[in-house]
Amino acid sequence: MSRKNKMHRIGLKGLLAYTLCLSTSAWSQVPAALTRPGLVAQDSINGADTAWMMTSTALVLLMTLPGIALFYAGMVRKKNVLNTMASVVAAAALVSLLWFAVGYSIAFTPGNGLIGGDTRLWFSGLDYIKEAGKVAVSHVAPNVPESVYAMFQLTFAIITAALIVGAVVERLRFSALLWFVGLWSVLVYAPIAHWVWEPGGWLAQRGVLDFAGGAVVHINAGVSGLVCAYMLGARKGYGRESFEPVNLGLTMAGAGLLWVGWFGFNAGSAVAADGRAGLAMAVTHIAASAGAMTWMLGEWIVRGRPSLLGLCSGLVAGLVAITPAAGFVTPLSALLIGAVAGVACYWGATGLKRLLNADDSLDVFGVHGIGGIVGALMTGLLASKTVSGVQGDVVVQLMGVGAVVAYSGVMSAVVLWFTNLMVGLRVDDGAEVTGLDITQHREHMGT
Amino acid sequence: MLASEKLAIAAHLHVLLRRKTGRVTDTQWMADNAEYATEIVRFARQSAAEDGHVELVPWADKLEQAVLPAAAPRIQDAKPLTPSIMPTVRSLLASPAAQAEAGDSAFDSARYVRGLR
Repeated sequence: MSRKNKMHRIGLKGLLAYTLCLSTSAWSQVPAALTRPGLVAQDSINGADTAWMMTSTALVLLMTLPGIALFYAGMVRKKNVLNTMASVVAAAALVSLLWFAVGYSIAFTPGNGLIGGDTRLWFSGLDYIKEAGKVAVSHVAPNVPESVYAMFQLTFAIITAALIVGAVVERLRFSALLWFVGLWSVLVYAPIAHWVWEPGGWLAQRGVLDFAGGAVVHINAGVSGLVCAYMLGARKGYGRESFEPVNLGLTMAGAGLLWVGWFGFNAGSAVAADGRAGLAMAVTHIAASAGAMTWMLGEWIVRGRPSLLGLCSGLVAGLVAITPAAGFVTPLSALLIGAVAGVACYWGATGLKRLLNADDSLDVFGVHGIGGIVGALMTGLLASKTVSGVQGDVVVQLMGVGAVVAYSGVMSAVVLWFTNLMVGLRVDDGAEVTGLDITQHREHMGT
Repeated sequence: MLASEKLAIAAHLHVLLRRKTGRVTDTQWMADNAEYATEIVRFARQSAAEDGHVELVPWADKLEQAVLPAAAPRIQDAKPLTPSIMPTVRSLLASPAAQAEAGDSAFDSARYVRGLR
């Protein structure tokens, strides 16, 4: 059994259990496990794994650019399409630079339970030394070059920030978006990633399971989106005027890209081209399909007609919910997770939305927040020891959900408050009526 | 009458007014506020009389009955732009396909008032 399977995203409890499963003879043939990033011999890198991780990185980036940009742009009014797209592109670029400078180091190097260290600031130490035949690897993914792993994780940081855009479209100043996303990425996303995914993180040490980001990405983005919606206030005319989506065809194209890209997101999170990655890919597809069908059925029963937006939303709900579970559950469990998520997120984007009374414009909390919570809890219920060597625990998962909800909610509010001090949050009423394409970018869509 | 039924009538009229006259109205406010509804009913009837948009009249009548039952006679007396029975008859002659299309659009319009899903 190779070393590559040992480390990734199963928490310390999982690591210990998994390690116990290794036979003594096999263990004796494997070099001691890394506990921090370091240089290893070039020939210890697995070529197939590396190729798959580079492919997955591209797939996950494709989910944001253009996936999320199209998905969101199709749902806003025509006067705000370009601003929505610009927000996603700018978030991707800004988060990339901050991840390179700070984020990766504080998320994925050993430090304490709350925050990582400074050894990888500015990607320092991500070396490839040809003459010595050495390459840097992360202790979290020792079978691929650290540069590849850092880039793979970067695409997760990007998409998480980009998801929040959906809650603030059509009234947030572009400059405020840049301030918020930059600060949020470093102060909120990176610490939570450390808690859950770095083996020394306090949630990882307590056995919280989050294979590909149900809590780190989706609950985090959903809660932050909800806080943003409350603090920003509703769009002018919300609840009285019809905010008709400009082109749900764009949304469908975006949803298709998300579905395909999610194979990199979940199967890539195995950090290996192996059986677990294959199973993660299969369960991802099953859950997406189940989510699309149950959302569609719910809408058909409640509203009388199934909609394209409902199908697209349902498939995303299924994908979100299977994200924390992808490396831990069987295909049958995936069917259940996707099916439950489709119904739960339909409620989240309709009934719960009315109860919360927040103008979460594109239902970031309803889909990503609720889907992430459903997925996290069902992972605790359905994680199969046969698949991953670890047993799920709903109480532990609940603790993880609570911690992420609390930290993300409070810190998002703090970051928004600071952003408001710096540049103000909302465009003025006139600019909102005119549209953010013209007022923020001096651009407009053709007819 | 249920609030949702009032809103549906207002949404129908909203779409028809936008298509026929270019005027953009506030659907929810039309269903909630008698003064605003009065003005919209007056405008719809005026457009029907002056520009021949007879499809507006039956929906103006419905809105009047739904939101302003007591005020209906006053509005008609004050603005006798069109005999109420004639537009209704004429509207029956309007293309069923056009009416169905307007109805579907009105449904969509009401649907997006408080959310996308």
